[in-house]
Amino acid sequence: MPWRRPRKHVERARDVDRSVEEMLQQKAEHAEEDEAVDLAALDGASVVEAAMGEPDQPQPPSELATKLGEAVAGVDLESEAAGPAGARGARSLGRGSSRPVPADAGTFGQAHSSTPSSRASLLAPSPAASQDEASDPLEVVVSLPEAGIDLQVEAARGLWLKNPVMTASGTFGQGTEYAELIDVSRLGAIVNKGTTVHARPGNPQYRIAETPSGILNSIGLENPGAEAVAKRYGRAWAELGVPVIVNVAGYSVEDYVTVVREMEGTPGVVAYELNVSCPNVKGGMLFGMDPGLAAEVTRAVKAETGKPVIVKLTPNAPDVVAVARACEEAGADALTSINTVLGMRIDTKKRRPVLGTGSGGLSGPAIRPIAVHITYQVAQAVSIPIIGAGGITNAADALEFLMAGASAVQVGTATFADPLAPIKVVEGLAAYVRENGLSSIRDIIGAAQAKRDSAGTEYAQ
Amino acid sequence: MILETGRVVSTETVADLGTVLVVSSPGIATRAHAGQFVHVRPGDRFDPLLRRPYSFNGIDRKRGEIELIVKPLGEGGEWIAERRGGDPLDLLGPLGTSFVVHRATTHLLLVAGGTGIAPMKVLAEQAAAAGRNVTLIMGGRSIHHLWPAHRLPPAVEYVTTTEDGSFGIRGRVTDAMPEYLSWADQLCACGPWPMLAAVGRMRDEAARSTSVIAGRDVLLDAQIAVEQHMGCAMGVCRACVIVTAHGNARVCREGPVLSLGDVRFEGGEPATVGVIT
Ligand SMILES: Cc1cc2nc3c(=O)[nH]c(=O)nc-3n(C[C@H](O)[C@H](O)[C@H](O)COP(=O)(O)OP(=O)(O)OC[C@H]3O[C@@H](n4cnc5c(N)ncnc54)[C@H](O)[C@@H]3O)c2cc1C
Ligand SMILES: Cc1cc2nc3c(=O)[nH]c(=O)nc-3n(C[C@H](O)[C@H](O)[C@H](O)COP(=O)(O)O)c2cc1C
Ligand code: FES
Repeated sequence: MPWRRPRKHVERARDVDRSVEEMLQQKAEHAEEDEAVDLAALDGASVVEAAMGEPDQPQPPSELATKLGEAVAGVDLESEAAGPAGARGARSLGRGSSRPVPADAGTFGQAHSSTPSSRASLLAPSPAASQDEASDPLEVVVSLPEAGIDLQVEAARGLWLKNPVMTASGTFGQGTEYAELIDVSRLGAIVNKGTTVHARPGNPQYRIAETPSGILNSIGLENPGAEAVAKRYGRAWAELGVPVIVNVAGYSVEDYVTVVREMEGTPGVVAYELNVSCPNVKGGMLFGMDPGLAAEVTRAVKAETGKPVIVKLTPNAPDVVAVARACEEAGADALTSINTVLGMRIDTKKRRPVLGTGSGGLSGPAIRPIAVHITYQVAQAVSIPIIGAGGITNAADALEFLMAGASAVQVGTATFADPLAPIKVVEGLAAYVRENGLSSIRDIIGAAQAKRDSAGTEYAQ
Repeated sequence: MILETGRVVSTETVADLGTVLVVSSPGIATRAHAGQFVHVRPGDRFDPLLRRPYSFNGIDRKRGEIELIVKPLGEGGEWIAERRGGDPLDLLGPLGTSFVVHRATTHLLLVAGGTGIAPMKVLAEQAAAAGRNVTLIMGGRSIHHLWPAHRLPPAVEYVTTTEDGSFGIRGRVTDAMPEYLSWADQLCACGPWPMLAAVGRMRDEAARSTSVIAGRDVLLDAQIAVEQHMGCAMGVCRACVIVTAHGNARVCREGPVLSLGDVRFEGGEPATVGVIT
């Protein structure tokens, strides 16, 4: 019988056999011994991130107020943990670059750099200019599988990236969090969490529900507001070693313009992605559903910034292609295809929807065929670059989007299951270029389009 | 925190509580603390898609092993509980905050419900090894939902409650707690939300009371570990947010261990939407 009666109560007196000091001291000595032994035993162990260094410090719960407070004060605790990725990113950023930067690509690394030559840029130069870069010993990290492979793409007009792989908004926070785990500087760009004018507390629980090969989410655009985002993450973004695209959300044209105005000059920011399609917030559907409204918001933001403006399409629009065309005409520099698909799950025990808001946005492999199809259709209709998104988990998935006509891709939900997924896509695309003897990844953009010489491939030249 | 492919050493079913898995995972074991958790991938495909969070039920730094107790609620939990010795397990961790036993604590009171036993067992083991007096109160529906006493250090006083009275005190953990509160220097608890909410009510009463109540300070200072559905567990998606006295907090980052007094309850469940401070 494994069940024992509760033991007789121990003596409840406060005075223990040994003094508290004695005990604590003994414990401290013990802890030191333990640590030493453990670290020695670690040698040769199959630790993925062997370079992570010291064991994580215990994180007491008592400093919640300080933690939440400090974050607001601009000290982002997370970004302080300099993992290997952070260190690498900082190193690559430390160098100034005199490489030509596309005129409208914006600056990187400095809030206000006046002369082009002072621009420390992590953006790829245009391919023609990149030839002589190969001889730069600091630039080529030989050990990386993608080294020496031409993966550069023009992800938006005037925005050349070193490779086509981005992270999707809402699945990569502000970029600093996953930097503890992966080398974010190997990505083409990152897209931050949807940013609104004011702080938003987000939606009621549950905010996430699993579905076959996917998830439904209804986060409700929880974010600290544009001003706080700029203040809190600008410095970290400058040191991440990867360009940042700010995802902008709003409830009026002015909202979008205001967010962009607040974010202008923030270090690291190279472009804006307009979330005109978040299905989670009341009224959020509006802009992306209607070609006229989508065009209006695009035009207003274009007038506010010289940086590339990307409009993120919603698959829930009655005519996505019409919205895409309207945005292109209004001056959009690229289109992201696609945001999440509206969906619902019902808890049959409780007889109510699982998500607190009822419906939510479906993402993950479940929506990939929908996303590839929309990408294919939109690529036939517009000549600005398209950024494919929806269920990408590996390089083969990414290739579907590129061949459908996308110039770049975003990896979102897959990262939750496999934090290495975005990096694996970079490596896999490099392997594809090498194994197929392509001169660059650009060779396959739009390859699956019926008319290969149509507008779909024009921008890829 | 790291990504590590652990290897299952052994598995064993513990009554109706769940399956205990011992996993060799030296990188995570070295870094782990009581109250923290690992995000376990249930398979190597994307269906089921999300990782599942499980607290450490044991941390053996010397052997480089961690122990998890997995109650198979659905597809993911079932897959993980079905692993056998030698199987690989994709782990992300350790994640989140941990319990902190104050230096001055000599009498530690631990309260567990269901699989909430996990971090309480780790605390019991560590505190007992450090020579502190530990009492663990565990509650369950029946005797089959209790952690077996022989799997606790002998120095730990083990008090059990069952709702059906099949073992120990008939009732709930909160029925057993008052007697021990005056004895304890510090209180840590982990269990389902209704249990934590009940402890929270005890704290509220103590906080309101003007007369001197035994154990008042212990209740005011209590630490709890909470659960919420998660996506990333890396702090990026904000799926796991709960409301605290200081605004929204992510259970995966600012939690899972929080000060009881900071957590906001609503009818035995977590209050959900709050304001950002
Ligand atoms: C910090 C933390 C520590 C935990 N420690 C333990 C532990 O030591 N032992 C244990 O058995 N369980 C623990 N849980 C609960 C455990 O995560 C869930 O039981 C598990 O995720 C359910 O997955 P499933 O596939 O079995 O169930 P399903 O119902 O199929 O899960 C569907 C989805 O809901 C989520 N979900 C369902 N219930 C919970 C829950 N209670 N908490 C979080 N997510 C949930 C799942 O992660 C999944 O995404 C912990 C949860 C958290 C947040
Ligand atoms: C948890 C979560 C939060 C998201 N938040 C945003 C957001 O704030 N803004 C936005 O434009 N898209 C958001 N998205 C949509 C993703 O950026 C992406 O377009 C979509 O998930 C499809 O890609 P995926 O299948 O690779 O995830 C979010 C998606 C998820 C899963
Ligand atoms: S689970 Fe994504 S923020 Fe906590």
